[in-house]
Amino acid sequence: MAVARPTFIDEVRQSEQFNAAACMNCGVCTAICPMGLEHLPREIFRYVVLGMEEEVLKEQETVFSCLLCKLCEENCPAGVHITENVRSLRHYFDRKAFRI
Amino acid sequence: MNRRKIGVYVCHCGGNISDYVDVEKVVDAVKDEEDVVVARTAMFTCSDATQQEIYDDIRELGLDGLVVASCSPKLHTFTFRGVAKRAGLNPFQYTQVNVREQCSWAHTDDRQGATEKALRLVRAGIARTRLLRPLEPTVVETVPKTLVIGAGIAGLRAAIGLADIGLSVVVVEREAEVGGWVKDFGPMYPRDKEGRELVRQLEAKVRQRENIALFTSAEVVRKAGSFGDYVVDIKTHGKSSMTMQIHVGSIIVATGFDSYQPEEGEYGYGIDGVVTLPEYKKMLDAAEGSLEYHGRPVKDVAYIYCVGSRQGDDGPHQYCSRFCCSAAVHSALELYTRDPSARQFHLYRDMRTYGRYELMYRESREKGSTYLKFAEDEPPAVRKGADGRLVVTIRDQLTGQKEVEIPADLVVLVTGMVPRENDALVGALKLPVGRDGFFNEIHPKLRPVETVVDGVTICGACQFPKNASESVASGLAAVTQSAAMLKQGRAELDPQVASVDPQLCTDCGVCYATCPYDAISPQEGHEGRRVAVIDPATCKGCGGCAPVCPERAINLEGYTQAQIKAMIEGLAREVV
Repeated sequence: MAVARPTFIDEVRQSEQFNAAACMNCGVCTAICPMGLEHLPREIFRYVVLGMEEEVLKEQETVFSCLLCKLCEENCPAGVHITENVRSLRHYFDRKAFRI
Repeated sequence: MNRRKIGVYVCHCGGNISDYVDVEKVVDAVKDEEDVVVARTAMFTCSDATQQEIYDDIRELGLDGLVVASCSPKLHTFTFRGVAKRAGLNPFQYTQVNVREQCSWAHTDDRQGATEKALRLVRAGIARTRLLRPLEPTVVETVPKTLVIGAGIAGLRAAIGLADIGLSVVVVEREAEVGGWVKDFGPMYPRDKEGRELVRQLEAKVRQRENIALFTSAEVVRKAGSFGDYVVDIKTHGKSSMTMQIHVGSIIVATGFDSYQPEEGEYGYGIDGVVTLPEYKKMLDAAEGSLEYHGRPVKDVAYIYCVGSRQGDDGPHQYCSRFCCSAAVHSALELYTRDPSARQFHLYRDMRTYGRYELMYRESREKGSTYLKFAEDEPPAVRKGADGRLVVTIRDQLTGQKEVEIPADLVVLVTGMVPRENDALVGALKLPVGRDGFFNEIHPKLRPVETVVDGVTICGACQFPKNASESVASGLAAVTQSAAMLKQGRAELDPQVASVDPQLCTDCGVCYATCPYDAISPQEGHEGRRVAVIDPATCKGCGGCAPVCPERAINLEGYTQAQIKAMIEGLAREVV
């Protein structure tokens, strides 16, 4: 059982632009992704807002596979800043996993 | 006996009837019946062309009886009464025979059987029509005064509306103060006007108007009389307890709702820190800055939706309460204004922030509220954690079905609306209550505030869960209906009511208890005897009393003992 840690999102958030919680889980982003990324962005963002850090750390490969092409962001009906949020996640991995 | 002149019209209904019933054969079989002077089929009897044809027949052939065999009387009774009236035939000398819902649609596999049944039904209709006599509506004078029961936001607004139309109003409120639920509310969507301020304004307007009398700590204990002149007993409580009697032409019921009270242990209710939506709203409205509960700071709040609503097929509350998703999201936004760093988790089954409330839902997500979806058969669980904080467990449908534990300082059960316990009032008014316990309207779309009791309308959340603006809108609809009835000064009631033959009545008393409208009462003085008398203005013509009378002294106009007998003979005759 995963325990929600609501303060985790503050560790990931790089800017005021970070708005993963605005997602309403419609799934347009997953359907449209040219890389066919399954967990990005929707599910990884869920892990972030719920503070499931272990789950986030498993997704290093996915987070760095994103092309930042913004196709999902252009089509997001909830106005989620997806690429900005992915950048925040990469910063988090830099600090946490690569210690840079 | 003079022969009658009856016209019979059998409808194809464009095939709805004629695909399964041989309508030509039915007409052939009845056209030579005694008293039938014309019998025709029509593609659509309700069409303008056929209405004109019936009109012409009535005038040219001097018809004194009309039989239309088509759809349910619920659809076109008033259409064909209108045709009769326009052509100079008394509208109560017409019979509607249902050969669609009760014949063609029910027997699509048996053309011969359906045709025979239709013929029998039409013969019964002719038999009834033979014995119909012209009737005139009962006319009653109306008292230009309305009783409003309940001084919540809907009742107060309705009272002001009626007063401004020029009617006198009596408002009766059970509580010591007016304003119902709204009087305790802080800022309300969308303009953040406080509920208490809204009520203050409404109350001031009520008190300014000389034609409104307001009684608080008061209850309606009895209703007698009939539409246009109801006699109502009002009892006041407190220091000056008294009962008074008033006459009113109409009644508006605006008695509101109760909030669902969870059972002990339901989603952890009873554990310190698990509160209902009204309890939470009270805390929020009282808080200046960030929230505290029993002296402890509240940082993490978990909301559990649909508590006491949508309880599956077995629960007493199977309906959606409609307002609660929006109310909970609004509360979350209220908490953000006091404490932007509060962390809020919403555990829901389906979000139903309809209309513009969707914008609040979006705003709450943008401000960081996290939404988790649970399945109906796997609701979240609440328990006290080792550290003394609350823990909510949910299998989140939006995160790959993962089980998640959410630590919380406060758990808010988003409770729905339930009907108010009001047995005494329901008994006094004789108002029908639906299976869900709320008051019932006649027709949800076309007659949304009228009830089966003439002159009694319902509005606000005593009808079904409504928010404040919907309650007020229905209150004003009730005003329109009430005023439309009373401003004419007189009302026409259906004359198809029951009456007692005093020669036959033995005052055995059996019929008194059968009347659901209290229309039958004993009266002294018929040749020195006491007999049952039915008030034609109160009687709704339901016919419940007629069959119980051992003397057959009661006849329902339009369905007399003789007519029922004749109809049975018409139904039972050989078809051949």
